[in-house]
Amino acid sequence: MIEILQQIVNGLAIGGVYVLIALGLTTVFGILGIAHFAHGSVSMFGGYLTFFLVASLGFPLLLAILVALLIGLVLGVLIEWLAYRPVRNASHINAFIVALGLTMMVEGLNLEFFGHEQVVIPTNLSRIFDIGGVTIPELRLYVIMAAALLIVAMTLFVEKTKTGQAIRAVAENRDAAILMGVNVKTIPMIVFSISTALGVCAGVMVGSLFAIAPGIGQWLVVKGFAVLILGGLGSIPGAIVGGLVLGVTEALAAGFISSAYKDVIAFVVMIAVLLLRPQGLMGKS
Amino acid sequence: MKLGVSFVTAAMMLAGSAAFAAEKTLDIGVSDALTGGAAVYGLPQANAVKMAADEINAKGGIKVGEDSYKLNVIAYDDQANPTEATNAVRKLIDRDGVKFILGFCCSGATGAVASFIANEDAVMLVGNAAERSITTREIPNLVRTRPPADYTGAAAGTFVAQKGHKKVAVLGALDVGFYASYVDAFEKELNKAGGEIITRESFGLKDRDMTPQLTKIRELNPDAILVVGYVEPAAFIYRQATELGIDVPRYGFTSGSEEQFLRVATSEQMEGVWDLRPTELTLLSASENGKAYHANYTAKYGIAPSPSSPYAYDQTYALKHALEAAGTVEDTAAVAAALRELPVPEEVVMQYLPVGGKMFDVNGQAYTSNGAFQWQGGNWVFVQDLPSDAEAYSKFLSTID
Repeated sequence: MIEILQQIVNGLAIGGVYVLIALGLTTVFGILGIAHFAHGSVSMFGGYLTFFLVASLGFPLLLAILVALLIGLVLGVLIEWLAYRPVRNASHINAFIVALGLTMMVEGLNLEFFGHEQVVIPTNLSRIFDIGGVTIPELRLYVIMAAALLIVAMTLFVEKTKTGQAIRAVAENRDAAILMGVNVKTIPMIVFSISTALGVCAGVMVGSLFAIAPGIGQWLVVKGFAVLILGGLGSIPGAIVGGLVLGVTEALAAGFISSAYKDVIAFVVMIAVLLLRPQGLMGKS
Repeated sequence: MKLGVSFVTAAMMLAGSAAFAAEKTLDIGVSDALTGGAAVYGLPQANAVKMAADEINAKGGIKVGEDSYKLNVIAYDDQANPTEATNAVRKLIDRDGVKFILGFCCSGATGAVASFIANEDAVMLVGNAAERSITTREIPNLVRTRPPADYTGAAAGTFVAQKGHKKVAVLGALDVGFYASYVDAFEKELNKAGGEIITRESFGLKDRDMTPQLTKIRELNPDAILVVGYVEPAAFIYRQATELGIDVPRYGFTSGSEEQFLRVATSEQMEGVWDLRPTELTLLSASENGKAYHANYTAKYGIAPSPSSPYAYDQTYALKHALEAAGTVEDTAAVAAALRELPVPEEVVMQYLPVGGKMFDVNGQAYTSNGAFQWQGGNWVFVQDLPSDAEAYSKFLSTID
C-alpha cells in the first residue's frame, strides 16, 4: 500500500507539470484553434531565464521566478501579436506552419543565449518529509503545492472573473461573443499571456526538479498534447484531470509493470480511454 | 647592375628556400556529439583532440619523411546520432578530403560509421564508445582507445561480489547495447560468487525522474544498487535515491566528472558512491601526463576535462606516431597497420595495458586498467585497481564474430 501511495506521490509532481503545460496549450487551442507547438520551448526559455537570474545574477529564487513570469506575460503578448495575429484569418495550415517555425526559432534562441549544457535551477530545498512511510522531498512537495495553487487560481480566473468569462465566451462561440460586446481582439493576447506564464512556471518546475536542456521542450509539448487529447481538446478541467492521470499512470507503470515501457503503457492507457470516450475524459461529445 | 642581379638572385633563393620549407597542413576530422545529451562526453573529446593538435603543432608538427605537417582539426557535431554521424563522416571524407577521423564518444553513432568505414580510404580512431562489437568486426582501418564495456563489467562484478553483496538491483540505460553488456558481464561474475541481480530497471537517456523505479527498488530491499548510464540521468538517480531514503551502497558505471555530478546532486548526496570504470582521468590518481593534461585543458577551456576525454587526446598522439612510423599521410592502409604495431606513446594520459607490447591488439583494441573510484568529500578518489586481464580479454575478443 505504501508503495502505491509513494508511486502516486511520485506521479503527482510530474503530473502537476503536465497540467500546467496542458492548461497553456488548451486555452490557446480552445480560443484560437492553434496547436501552439512552441509552448514547450517557451516554457524552457522561462526555466533558462530563471536559472540565469539565480545562477549568474544572484537573484533570490522567488524574485527570479517573479521576473521570469512578468517577462513570460510580455513574451506571450509578443508571440500573439507578431506571430499568430497576422495569420488569424488565414487558413489553419498557416498558423500550423507559424507554430513550427516559432518552435525552431525559440529553440535556436535558447541554444544561442543559454548554450547546450543541461542546467538545474538551484533551490537549496533539501529537506525530506516522511508522512506515514511515504517519502516526500521538500522540493517535490512545493512543486505539487505550487501546481495545485496555479490550477486553482486558473480555474477561479476562468470561472469567476469577467475576463475569464469572456475567454470562455469566445471559446464557445466567437460570433455570439462579439454580439455580447466582448472585445475579441484583446482576448487572444490575454490568453497567450496567461498560457506563456503558465509555461514559464512549468519550466521553472522542470528546471528545479529535473533539468533544462535542448530537446526537453519538445518532450514536454508532446506530453502536453497527449494530456490535451486525453482530457478533451480545449477543456480546462480535462487538462487538469488528464495531466494528473498521465503523470500517475507513468509512475505506476514504471513501478509495477515495466520501467522500459512506461511511456508506451501511458500512451496505451490514453488510447484505451479515447476508444471508450473519443472526446476525451472531460471533452464534450 | 651586378649588385641588382645578385640581390634578385638572393631574393629568389630565399623565396625558393622559404617555399621549400613551407609547412604543410594535414586535415584531421572529428565526428562527435558537440550538442545534445551526449555532449558531456563528445564535446570534451573534441576539445581534447584540438588541444593535442595545438600541442603537436607548437612542437613543430608531425614529421613524415622530409615533410613537416601542422594539424588542422575539422570537427562536426554528430549529436551521438547514427544518421548525423554518417553524414558528418561522409562530409569529412567526400567534401573535406579528410583521411583520419577521430572522436566518436558514443556507441550508436560509432557503430553506424564502423559499418562502412572498412570500404573507405580513411582511418577511424574511436574514443569513448564502449560497445564491444565495434572491435569485433575485423575492420583493419579502425582502432579504439577505450576498452569494451563488458571488459570493465566483469571486473566490476567481481569487485561488488567481494564486497559481500548478494542482492543487487540494477537501474540503467539498458536499451543501450554497451550498458546492457556491462550488466551481463557483471551479473556473470556476481553469480559465480553466489550473488544475483534481483531486478533490472531501465530508463531512457532523456529521463530525469527515476523515482518510480527507485521506489520499486526500495521495496525489494537490495544489498546494493548498480547504476549504469550517462552521467546526467545517473546523477539524478543518486540524488533521488537519497531523497527516497535508500541507504545501501551505490555502485555505478558513468565516467562523469565531479563538476558534471555537482550540477545535479550535492556532494552530500553523492558521498560514498562508487564508480567502477576504466582507470580514466581522476586528478588524485593521475600520472604526470594526466596532471599536465588536466591543468592544460582547464587553462585552455576554463573548465575541468571529463574523465573520459583523454581517450581522444591519446588518439591524436597515437595517430601522430603512426603517421611518423608509416612515413606517409596518403597511404591509409600503411598508417592503419602502423597503428596496430605502435607501442604506447609516451605522451598518452590513460594508463594502457599493452598487449604483446603494443598499444592496440590485433582487433585494434586498446586496454586500460579498471579502477574502483569512490566519491569522498566532493572528489572521485581512486581506491583500488579492479582485476583486469587485457591479454586474456584480447584473446576472448578475437573469438567473437
